[in-house]
Amino acid sequence: MATADPIPGVPTPSAHPGNGLLVLLAAMTPKQLESVFAKLTVSFPAEELLIATPEAISEALPAGAHPSFRIVPTPANNFAWTLTVADFVNAYQLAEKHKARAILMLGPESGSLGSSALRRLANAVLAATDLAVPSYDLTPHAGLVNSGLLYPLTRALFASSVRFPLAVDLGLSLRMAKRMENAAQHFTAVNQGETPIWPVNEATVAGFTIDQFNVGPSVQPTAPELNTIFPLVIGPLFSDITAKAAYWQRFRPLPPARDAMLMPPTPGTDTAADIAPMLSAFRLAYTNLHEIWSLVLPPHSLLMLKRLSSTDAAAFRLSDSLWARIVYDFLLAYRLRTINRGHLLGALIPLYLAWVASHFNIIASGSDPEGHIEAVAAAYETEKTYMVSRWRWPDRFNP
Amino acid sequence: MQCVLATMLQFDPNQSSPSWPADNATIWRNMAEALHQSLDRVLLLLIAILPGILAFLVALAVFTLIGMALSALLRRILAAAKLDERIARGRGSSEWAPSTSPTALIARVSFWGSILLGLIIGVSAFDASYATATTLPSSLMPYLTRVVGVAVLLIAGTLIARFLERSVLIGAVNEQLQYARFLSLGIKWLVLVLTAAMVLEHLQIGGNIVGLAFGILFGGIVLTLALAVGLGSRDLVSRSLESHAEHSSESSAAPPATCPDDSIRHF
Repeated sequence: MATADPIPGVPTPSAHPGNGLLVLLAAMTPKQLESVFAKLTVSFPAEELLIATPEAISEALPAGAHPSFRIVPTPANNFAWTLTVADFVNAYQLAEKHKARAILMLGPESGSLGSSALRRLANAVLAATDLAVPSYDLTPHAGLVNSGLLYPLTRALFASSVRFPLAVDLGLSLRMAKRMENAAQHFTAVNQGETPIWPVNEATVAGFTIDQFNVGPSVQPTAPELNTIFPLVIGPLFSDITAKAAYWQRFRPLPPARDAMLMPPTPGTDTAADIAPMLSAFRLAYTNLHEIWSLVLPPHSLLMLKRLSSTDAAAFRLSDSLWARIVYDFLLAYRLRTINRGHLLGALIPLYLAWVASHFNIIASGSDPEGHIEAVAAAYETEKTYMVSRWRWPDRFNP
Repeated sequence: MQCVLATMLQFDPNQSSPSWPADNATIWRNMAEALHQSLDRVLLLLIAILPGILAFLVALAVFTLIGMALSALLRRILAAAKLDERIARGRGSSEWAPSTSPTALIARVSFWGSILLGLIIGVSAFDASYATATTLPSSLMPYLTRVVGVAVLLIAGTLIARFLERSVLIGAVNEQLQYARFLSLGIKWLVLVLTAAMVLEHLQIGGNIVGLAFGILFGGIVLTLALAVGLGSRDLVSRSLESHAEHSSESSAAPPATCPDDSIRHF
């Protein structure tokens, strides 16, 4: 699928890359590209790097600007804010063609990572690690879908402590890349090349080694709005969890909770978030979507939501266990197709906004943001028995 | 009373009383004869359409048996070919993929397809034999044959109305439109009114009145929705346009990736 024909004026990348590493760049602006190149030059001094960039970017590069880089073009990808099926297919095919031993996939803002971050990710996959993932230091107001849904779900079901399961910067060993390419083939066969796939879940199921590296503060690529994110990200995650049900239903020792003392300090913000729009969205949804929620959620959860809908903004708290159960109930409804899947994910958005409002209230009261996210993850782990029971006997077990 | 009876039966009161039993017997004989003739006509009619009913039942029974056999055969063949596993490997996360296994779905479709075919053939057979029975009213049969089409229309219309209602409701709630429920109900009733008009048209009931009534009702609903949305959301639209204009000017001044730290970023 992916072809990497040499471009005029650029050295032909027929030989092996110097250190066996292939660097695959996402679509980015020239300014971002310069920043990434500068970071790569600092991270890999005196090493010849094989770099794959989207065609439009590689054609705009001046010949001979970076003599230590051998640049090959890749097919353009419209998605820059997450890694998709097409990215993993390209990565493996290019690595195989150029006989690379490992792959470093970098997002458009990878130039903002810490100075040693790229080197550490690359060294890990060039050594024995199959999947090297970064852990970003984000502000409490960033990466909320990850904190409330992706991380705790992945942690509870796949027993993985990776804080950013859908990181846009990754290191892959060749066998991990092959595994991802195999997983991606199922999507390309049905023309779903822009779907995200889940490297952490794949690596966990395959029994591959995963290492996580703190890469410091980072600018994250601009993502679309929630109405787009949920069908594009949460839908595929639910599908992946459904497909791997045989794996996660078995009992596995969970990773130890991260020690709050050892966690990197969360970059602070001077201003408190305005939760009023989120609460108003939740209350409006409670008035209008109650009928749809009642198809998915058990009466106990509906009763708790009813109480929440009349709670003042200052006292608004969505308990961690209720949030975990809500997500599990939606996951189950996704599997059973209780209602149309697009409708289901749309109906989850106001509940997610309620969780975000509650999270902001908790951290505004002085709690550590990462500490609360760990508490949410722990609630997901506790409620996993509820999830497994409902998964196995959806009609019988409905408290 | 006697006079009344006599008048009714054209009885002459001057005649002697011994003729009463003979006349009674004649009346009863005439009545019995009339009743027998009616019964004969009903039986003849029943006999005339009985082959049609029998043909309908036989066609339905035969095609039900064929459907059951075909369904069982397909299940075995597709299970042996491991169709479910192959499709599950290549399906991805399609929103429109069926909830049941493909093998079960194909088997069910073949079974119900056979039954539908049996119904169509049965109705045709009934129609053919019924045509020979000239005494039956000829306006009933077209309705019977159109019932299948009407049922499909009704089911499809109801499903589409519910789907669109939910789509609009969830979309409007996520856009925080206060009149989300009203909007979704409007869409639902638009589709239901359209379905009802199509059903009546299909059954050829009402003629032009249906089209006219539908046009008035449909236009009325659209006008109501347009007025409600237009008048109710005047402020919202102006605010939205203002914020869009502000956002455009800000985004042209600064690169999109560098958001301030205090802004909420969900992803």
